[in-house]
Parts: sequence; C-alpha cells; structure tokens
Amino acid sequence: MKLNKLTSAMAIASLATLASFSTQTISAPIYADFPVTVKDYQGDKKTSVSYGGQIARHVLHNSLKKLAGQGNGAENPELLAKMQSYFANKDANRAILDPVSKEGFTISETDIDQLSKGKNLAGKAYEGAVNGWPGNMTAAEVLAFMVEKASAADAGFDFNNGMDYPQLISKFTMGAVFYNQAVDSYLDEKLAADVKPNDQPYKKGAAYTGKEHVWDEAFGYFGTPANTLNLDAATAHAIAKGKKEALTAADSNANGKIDLATEMTYAHAYYAASTDKGGKTNYLQTITKAFIDGRQLITDANGEKLSDAQRSQLLGHADIIKTNWELVIAEATFKYAGSVYSDALKLQAGIENNEDVKALFKKYIHHWGELKGFSMSLQTSGKDLGGVAVSLNRLIGYSPVLLGNTQVTGIDAKGNYQQSSSVDLNEFALQMLKVQQLLADNFALKARGKDQLANLSALAAKLGSGKNTEND
Amino acid sequence: MQATALFHLLGILTWQLLVMTSFFSEYWSDLSQLFSNSQQRLYFGYLLCAAIIAFIWLNNTGQNLKHSLIQATGFKHWFSQSALADYKLILINKIIFLLMLPLLVTKLAIATAMFELMHQSFSQRSSIDNDLPVWLIISAFTLFVFLLDDFARFYLHKLMHQIPWLWEFHKTHHSATSMTPLTVLRTHPIEGIIFSLRSALVQGFSIALFIYFFAGKVDLYTVLQVNVLVFAFNVAGANLRHSHVAIYYWRWLETIIISPAQHQIHHSTQPRHYNKNYGAILAIWDKISSSHCYSEPEHKLQFGLNRMQASSEHNLYALYLAAFINIFADCKRFIRQLSQ
Repeated sequence: MKLNKLTSAMAIASLATLASFSTQTISAPIYADFPVTVKDYQGDKKTSVSYGGQIARHVLHNSLKKLAGQGNGAENPELLAKMQSYFANKDANRAILDPVSKEGFTISETDIDQLSKGKNLAGKAYEGAVNGWPGNMTAAEVLAFMVEKASAADAGFDFNNGMDYPQLISKFTMGAVFYNQAVDSYLDEKLAADVKPNDQPYKKGAAYTGKEHVWDEAFGYFGTPANTLNLDAATAHAIAKGKKEALTAADSNANGKIDLATEMTYAHAYYAASTDKGGKTNYLQTITKAFIDGRQLITDANGEKLSDAQRSQLLGHADIIKTNWELVIAEATFKYAGSVYSDALKLQAGIENNEDVKALFKKYIHHWGELKGFSMSLQTSGKDLGGVAVSLNRLIGYSPVLLGNTQVTGIDAKGNYQQSSSVDLNEFALQMLKVQQLLADNFALKARGKDQLANLSALAAKLGSGKNTEND
Repeated sequence: MQATALFHLLGILTWQLLVMTSFFSEYWSDLSQLFSNSQQRLYFGYLLCAAIIAFIWLNNTGQNLKHSLIQATGFKHWFSQSALADYKLILINKIIFLLMLPLLVTKLAIATAMFELMHQSFSQRSSIDNDLPVWLIISAFTLFVFLLDDFARFYLHKLMHQIPWLWEFHKTHHSATSMTPLTVLRTHPIEGIIFSLRSALVQGFSIALFIYFFAGKVDLYTVLQVNVLVFAFNVAGANLRHSHVAIYYWRWLETIIISPAQHQIHHSTQPRHYNKNYGAILAIWDKISSSHCYSEPEHKLQFGLNRMQASSEHNLYALYLAAFINIFADCKRFIRQLSQ
C-alpha cells in the first residue's frame, strides 16, 4: 500500500516536473517582471516595468474613436466637450468607452484612472507641420480640427466632403501620437548616452532607471500584449476584436478577465497582427522580440550606465523596431490604396449604370479615410520621406474624388472645406495604382494586401524570361 | 603607408574578382539555359524531337538507316565555317546581352504603363465582374498572345528585309551558308535588341489588355511553362527550319503553317526566293501580303546571301562591324546626294 502511494506520488511528482519543464521550454519570454535594478531603491516595487501612461492613451484613443461616430449631423457642443475630454483634457474619472466588457469577454478596468491618471492625447502629438492635411497645422491642431468636425458629422460621416472622421482621427492618432512618440523620441534621442542614463532612476524615487523606462514607454506605445511571443497573429488580432475564443490565450494571469494594461492588443500592434495573419510577414513577433531583447539588455546592465557596446546593441534592436513598425504602416497604406482603387471603379460603373450607389459611396469614403490616416501617419516618424511624401499626399488628395468630380483643396478662414474641380473617378483609381507603385518602390513590402498590379507581374512571369532573341 | 596601399589594392582586386565571378557564373548559367530551359527553342527535348522527326522523314524517303541517322544529326555541318561563326556569335552576344539587359525595357514596365493608360482611355473596368467562363478567358488569352506574337514576328522580319539599314543588321543571320538549329541565334546584337523590344511590347500589351478587362481570371495554358501552342510548334520540329532536312507539308497545310522547307526557301540564294516566307509559325501572314512561297521538294537549295558569297562573310568583322560601316557609308552617300 505504502509502496503504491510512493509510486503514485513519484509519478505525480515526475509528471509535474515534466509538465513544468515542458511549459518552461515552450513558453517564450514575456515583457513583464523585469526586476528593479535602480541602485539604493527604497520603495516596495518588485518590478521595474511600467507603461501605464501609454496604455491609458491607447484607451483614450479607442474611446475617442467611439465618440467620433456618435454625431447626429448637427452642431453638438455636448458631444464636442466629451470628445475634448478624451482628446485634450486630463479630466479625472473618464469612463472607458472602448474596450468594454461583453458576454464571455470581461475587461478588468472601466475607468481610465485605473490605468493612469491625468493623461491626454493632444499633448503628445507630432509637433511638425502636417503636409497631408490642408491648413499648415501641427498634428494636435489637425486632430482638434477633425474632432470638431466629427462632433457635427452624421455618425462620423461627412458625405459632402467625403470624410469618415472616426477613421481619420483614429488612424492619424496612431501615427501622430503613438508612432511618433515611440520612434521619434523614445527610440531616438532618448537613447543617447547622456539622456536618461541607466545609472540614475528615471525620476527621483522611481523603481526604474532612465533607460528602462524610456524603453518601456516605447513598448507601451506599440500596444501589444506582454505575452505576444506566445500568441499567434490571429489570436492577437482576435483579442482586439473582443472575441470570446481569444480570452483564454490572452488571459495570461488567468484571472478570467482581460487586463487592459498587459493583455490587450491596440493600434499598430493590431495592424501588425492583421497583416501577419496573411502568413507572408511576421511583423508583430519581430517587433515584440526586439523590444524584449532590448529590455533584457538594459536589465542585464544592472543599474549601471550602458557601455558604448551595449548602447550600440540597443540601437540595433531599436532599428529593427523602427523599420518594421514603418513597414506595418506602409503595408496598411498599400492595402487601403488597393481598396479605394476597386471602390472608385465600382462607383464609376454604378453611376454609369444608374444604380443606387449610396452604400458603395460610404464604403469608398470609409476606405479613403483609412488610407489617408495611415498615409499621414507614415510621415510622422521624424524621418524626412522627401519626394515620396509629396507624391503620396498629392495622389491621395485632401479628400477622395467626389461624385461631381471635385475634391477638397483647402480650408477657408472659418474652417470650412473648399472644393475645386478635379479628375474623374477612373483617373483617381489610377492615382491609387500609383500610390501602390510608389509604396512598393520605396518600402520593402511583403504582404502587399489588395495588390492591384500583382496580376500583371504574375502573368508577365508566366510568359517567360524575356531573354528571347530568337531569329527566323 | 605602403601596407595600407597594398591593403586597399587587395580589397579592390577581391571586389573585382567577386564581380567577375558572379558575371561568369551568370554567363555560364545563361548559356546552359539555352539547352536546359523549355522556354528556349534549343531546349534539348525539342532538339531530340527534331532529330527523331528528321530521321523518320529521311528513312521514309528511301534513304538507308545509317545514312538517315547521320543526316538527321546534321553532323557534317557542325564544324563548317558557317556553324563556327554561329557559335562565336552566340558566345559573344551572350556577353553583350548580359551587360545590356538591365538597360532594356521589360514587358512588365510596358504592361504597367499600358494598364495605367487604359484607365484613361476606357470608361470603366466594369467587365471585371463579367460571367464569362474562366476557360474561355484563358483560351482567348493563350490564342491572342500566340497570334499577336506571331504576327509581330512576321511583320518585324519583313521590315528587317525591306528597310535598308535594318537589312544591314539582318544580313548577319542570312550569311549562314550551312544551317544547324543553332543558326536561330546567329543574330547581330542590334537585331537581338530590336527583337527583345518587340517581344516586350507584344507581351506587355497583351497582359495589360487582358488584365484590364478580366483581372485575376486571366491565365495562360502552358506545357512545360510554355504557351501550349508554341510548345506544339517546338515539339513538331521547329528546329528543322534551320537545317538541311527539307521537310515539307501538304499544300493546304503550307498555306496555314510554314514548313521547315518553306523557311529554308527564305534562306535560299535563288533570286526568285528572295523576300519570301517571312513568317515564323503561321503562313497566313505571308499569304495575305503576297510573300508566300510553297516548298519546292524537287530543288536542292543553296543557303546564304547570294550564290557568290565570300567566305569572309563569316569573319567577326563582317558579322558585327560591316553593318555599321555600310550604314555609315550609305548615310554619307545620301548627304552628298542631297548637297549636290
């Protein structure tokens, strides 16, 4: 009997060891629990990881997008004030409007303050001039302009000028705030040797060093779950969609809920996952791995100043992040140019056949809004894209080509759009082709969603090598 | 100081060596592709088919087995002065083409440009959503490319004969006095460039046209990665066009398709055969433009520019440079006439 018990105990023990061993070997590192390395730290924090402010901004962005679709088509000061609260103010007790719990998918937090207090979006937006939007404004001014327009729009749409504000605000915020802050500030000048050094706390009494926190903030802006390396792209994508079946995989601390700070997919991480789902790319894992590798490197410095060799290695990780992040945005821009291309042609055909094109027109505006937002975001990295940006902005325009062959060409002193006659829908479709070509020529795209020129190159390849000089 | 200079020199030499190595590896790979790639006329499979057809033909016309076999291989022509010139041209042209290729416009560039142009010329791409069966679209594309390509070959070939300065370049091909399948590549490089542009234009246009109207439904019916119709032509002994085996067809078939014997007439030194049978695969183009000539099995043909052709026509000078010199002389003469 005793022997029996002993054997079963041993069996259970060895199974448990085996199980723990196997989970250890299969699970990839997560972006969490890096220890405190600040010298002489007096507080009680057990980890130096902290990026609550960034997550709060992601949730502000999600909520703002939600509000942007709630206009009733008339001036609406109440809605505008609410939007301002999420965009520019730092009000206490703002409710989280998105993501919110739904059946089978419970969210832990309901209030922004549970993530971080006193945060806004406007204060962190790209400070350069936004050339893709009329009016010579900074990014914060462009977004404020869009917020105001959205508050008076018809469920987010302005059909007269071809604007879908939830899309424009959302896609441009991702670039102007998250992408810009991460790649133009944290992964750029804040990695310099004498800025936020690693042998000092980030601020007095903090549990994290200068470089640890700089790196964490950049990671926070990317918006991916801490355990991304253990998730596939489809799951990371499904989490943001609030799909029940993604809950178990996403809920890494197994508390039955999604913790917004560590278990949700936001913004460009969501688009990386969306692109990767196609199987041709691995942006989400590549970027996340570079973040984790960089964070490990900083942690390993153990609260000492980074050596030149360590810093150059860190810059290498930062480069991987920047390059791939830019590609994520360029892939999305490419894809939506393809969508607008098809929409424009279908719209033209529908008009010629006297069909009801209302739904088609809405879809066209929607896709153009995404295209515009992503293309403007691509230009907020602080890197000068030169002629590529100029061409991109001209081809995409300040609005889609509208049904009377007009396009928005400016904004007057009162903030009203001005329209001028422009090309027809076929010509505009052609411009979308050129956008795709321009992006393919200037970025190392791999996914190339909705590639309108792919058929041409596939058929050209099928027709043979072209070295044919046979003579008869 | 000296050490650094030496180091630099070594660096440059290594770099040059690397460039040269990659160039030569591409060169050899291109040369071997001539026989190993089924998209090429000289693919070993097609050569084998040609030899078998020639053997059966010769054997059936009453020649004995051994004689048929020897003649089918065309062995006695392999080392003729004319064939040696063919080989030299092939080897040198490949180098020229490897260097030129990046400069030549590709069919994809033409297809893209034409595809974009079509957005401005046609009102809509609504036909993308048509209900035509896919097999019909693929068949139409396969046939369209085949016909347009064959017509373009015919027409350009005709121009090569009729326009004096083009003829100067095309003479390189016609100075072959004995023919082997490799004679198909006996071409002046300028003509090679013109031919590759023609091919890019035809294919680029076809691609753009069909993709514009049928988008992803367009495809090509192929066998061994070759247009099924071109494949049939190659398997049916296309390589015998440049040979001494005068296979001819029934008259009705020779009205539709050029037989090897008909193409050999095109190379004949008989003045009455001059400027006949320009066609590549189809004879109908010649029929329409009155340059058609049926085979003449009773006559033994002599190949070359004319009956008194000098052997110096196989020199590299005659093959490569004479065309430029002659064109230059013609221009001078023309200017002199103008000024008088």
